[in-house]
Amino acid sequence: MNTIERLAEQELPRAPRPAGPQAPQTGGAQATTERPLVEVDGIAKTFDVSPPWLNRVLERKPRLLLHAVDGVSFTIARGETLALVGESGCGKSTVARMLVGLYRPTRGSVRIDGHDLAELSGPSGQALRRRIQMIFQDPYASLNPRWKVAEIIAEPIRVHGLLTDGDAIMQRVGELLRHVGLAPADALRFPHQFSGGQRQRISIARALASQPEFLVCDEPTSALDVSVQAQVLNLMRDLQKQDGLTYLFISHNLAVVHHVADRVGVMYLGRIVELAPKRTLFETPQHPYTRMLLDAIPDIARTGRSRTPVAGEVPNPLNPPPGCTFHPRCPHANERCRREQPLPRVTPGGGQAACHAVEEGRI
Amino acid sequence: MPSDPAPLLEVRNLRVEFPARRGTLLALDDISFSIAPGEVLGVVGESGAGKSLTGAAIIGLLEPPGRIASGQILLSGRRIDNLPPAEMRKVRGREIGAIFQDPLTSLNPLYTVGRQLVETIQEHMPLTTAQAHSRAVDLLKSTGIPAAESRIDHYPHQFSGGMRQRVVIALALAADPKLVVADEPTTALDVSIQAQIISLLKALCREHGTAVMLVTHDMGVIAETADRVAVMYAGRIVEIGPVADVIHQPRHPYTVGLMGSIPSIGDEREKLAQIDGSMPRLNAIPTGCAFNPRCERAMWVCRERRPDLIDAGTSRAACWLHDATVMGDRRSAPDSPTAPIGGDQITPALRQGH
Repeated sequence: MNTIERLAEQELPRAPRPAGPQAPQTGGAQATTERPLVEVDGIAKTFDVSPPWLNRVLERKPRLLLHAVDGVSFTIARGETLALVGESGCGKSTVARMLVGLYRPTRGSVRIDGHDLAELSGPSGQALRRRIQMIFQDPYASLNPRWKVAEIIAEPIRVHGLLTDGDAIMQRVGELLRHVGLAPADALRFPHQFSGGQRQRISIARALASQPEFLVCDEPTSALDVSVQAQVLNLMRDLQKQDGLTYLFISHNLAVVHHVADRVGVMYLGRIVELAPKRTLFETPQHPYTRMLLDAIPDIARTGRSRTPVAGEVPNPLNPPPGCTFHPRCPHANERCRREQPLPRVTPGGGQAACHAVEEGRI
Repeated sequence: MPSDPAPLLEVRNLRVEFPARRGTLLALDDISFSIAPGEVLGVVGESGAGKSLTGAAIIGLLEPPGRIASGQILLSGRRIDNLPPAEMRKVRGREIGAIFQDPLTSLNPLYTVGRQLVETIQEHMPLTTAQAHSRAVDLLKSTGIPAAESRIDHYPHQFSGGMRQRVVIALALAADPKLVVADEPTTALDVSIQAQIISLLKALCREHGTAVMLVTHDMGVIAETADRVAVMYAGRIVEIGPVADVIHQPRHPYTVGLMGSIPSIGDEREKLAQIDGSMPRLNAIPTGCAFNPRCERAMWVCRERRPDLIDAGTSRAACWLHDATVMGDRRSAPDSPTAPIGGDQITPALRQGH
């Protein structure tokens, strides 16, 4: 108690950052010379959702495989924010979980700063894990309700052995709380004593406790009100500038993505259908699904606008359509789209799109 | 369209309170507004502002121990806030339809959608089962459900989220009500489905001349759908006016902050406008204007006297900045204590929710 109260009074020097290459301050720096921090190569995740063995034998039910993510590749340069957008069930959260090692990819590889995440076990794995942290969507479910904030934030520091002395840890906790706009004295409270926005700040402080370089943010503001969302988005942007963080930002909200991202990937049924620098994607979207999404979002700048809603819904991922999975909803689909799966091709604005119609110049 | 001679719905000085361990909590404080026939009124606000509660009070579904403490709700000139429950049941469905956020919980999972529709139609209309059934099929067709004749015999779980919300809309419109209260009708849906549902709701209500009270936290949905919008904060309406005016020239400092904090495509701002702090809890609503601790333009009067909705140019706002006497005083008496409140007086915004 006393330690914390004393801490609240005094200004604290910032802890030195761990040795390592200093991240560039510019967003969207293309890694032409430097190797990207995150390299994801053709990752896929298949979930076995078959009925139990006995049912399969007695009722002759087949094995059921859900291809949640089906061959996703991208890179993220240091200090850059890549956003993944898509509707529910498109696999964006599964990608996030594979990137932090919560799921093991069925195939493909994730390399962080040249190290393969698959080698996560052992001491070198622990060192790598320290550099990757995640912020979850629900600030109510992602904090242990029976732990005080001090314990929550101190856990990564203790686990990674960054500091061992109790006073030093508490000092660092106070500093982290201040860093995210809370007060060091908040360390003595429990999560339920905070509002949603404040809890998300605690999650961010916990993620920053191990001094990571790469943050995976899975819908970090979806559970928050707009004015609180603005506070958290501004905070994340400030932290990125100060600490040179690299973000993977998962969201279903295109307006939020437009605000935070340097590059944007659009996912549909487990694949990236278009990946492009933000400006290119929003100004000249190529893939019909991207065009549809951009047309569908309600926007305050467009009062009284009448829209042409796109028919259809996302198909069942257990039984995706053949060829291009978007073809049943696509106005430009032809025979080839129904038969052949399109591969990503480079588009004029420096992006890539997986669409036969774009490739053939039909749209 | 606003203030037509005979409004369809009129809410006058509505106060809703919840008895608490110590005293009562005032959840809605002196709410007044009206909806004209065929008009779409959007109600926005952040969680806890009282927007859903306003909707619940109108359809007579306030959850006890919440109760209407004072004020009146008039539908076509008739008071409906003091009706006995059996009478209110007839109003609900026949005259006011309701659409809720989660289509799965607003449908009975044990009955086919057809049975639920037929039951609702027969409750309110003198039709035979066969007539009600054909009306149910027509309703499902009009909400864009493919193969309505066969799908009417399906159970709610056999529909996708978007299709289920279409069924709920069909159910709300079953007895041709004059007003539909839609509480976050698209929040649980994906963006592409959300667009379909919004256009459907708009088209159906225009066709039938149904007025809509659209409660949502999504300003984008309001912008595209509503004729007028009411912005709520801490149990009060802080601003109400035509939707384009409120969005583009907000008059209340809270609305200004709210609009600035919404990211928008094509908006190249480095930082979003930020209102520090969060909405006060019901047991800690500041005296005077409830927004004053977070307001950059707060004056002494804001901390002492509660502002009422007054004309603020294009819309009506509950803010002293638009009060000629207060602002006039300030100009004539420079030493009067109307200078902006210093930061030392205000609890730092972030600490406020504690």
